[in-house]
Amino acid sequence: MADTYSSKLAGMTLPDPDGKPVQLGSLWANGPAVIVFLRHYG
Amino acid sequence: MRENEGAFQQRGAKIVAIGLGDVAYARQFREDSKINFPLLIDEKREAYKVIGLGNANLLHMFRKDNAAARKRAKAAGHRQVKLGKDPFQLGGSFVFAPGDKDLFVHVSETFGDNADPKDILNAIVLPGSTTKSA
Repeated sequence: MADTYSSKLAGMTLPDPDGKPVQLGSLWANGPAVIVFLRHYG
Repeated sequence: MRENEGAFQQRGAKIVAIGLGDVAYARQFREDSKINFPLLIDEKREAYKVIGLGNANLLHMFRKDNAAARKRAKAAGHRQVKLGKDPFQLGGSFVFAPGDKDLFVHVSETFGDNADPKDILNAIVLPGSTTKSA
């Protein structure tokens, strides 16, 4: 596996605002995903 | 991104935003911004770090490209409501595909350095077409 940005993130898990954990790799496991890292909320 | 959410979805892509801060802050942002796409919280900045998203500094505020970006944002009706947990944190935009493929990568180098939504859209491969590389 190439050392891609997506491969670095795929195993990480982050919560949504309701506290539900989401494994990042699941976001693009079945189709493309646009992932935007915000500078700030607001 | 809000304005382009429909176009991304028409191409079969989901859109997800990741931000710093805590749960309360993210909930408030979700309500204020009325975004419909999922929002995730990277309170410890782990994801930002693992892909090397950097920080700007005060000197970046005086860069010509930042002034131009502020002018564009103001003309488009955007306004900054809050500074957030770390006002110097820079962001980035990506399109990822199954198999951990990077179809599009844009790592911001300064405050106003945002990816062009058209470039993001063009990077999304339509179902059944040949996969592109970043």
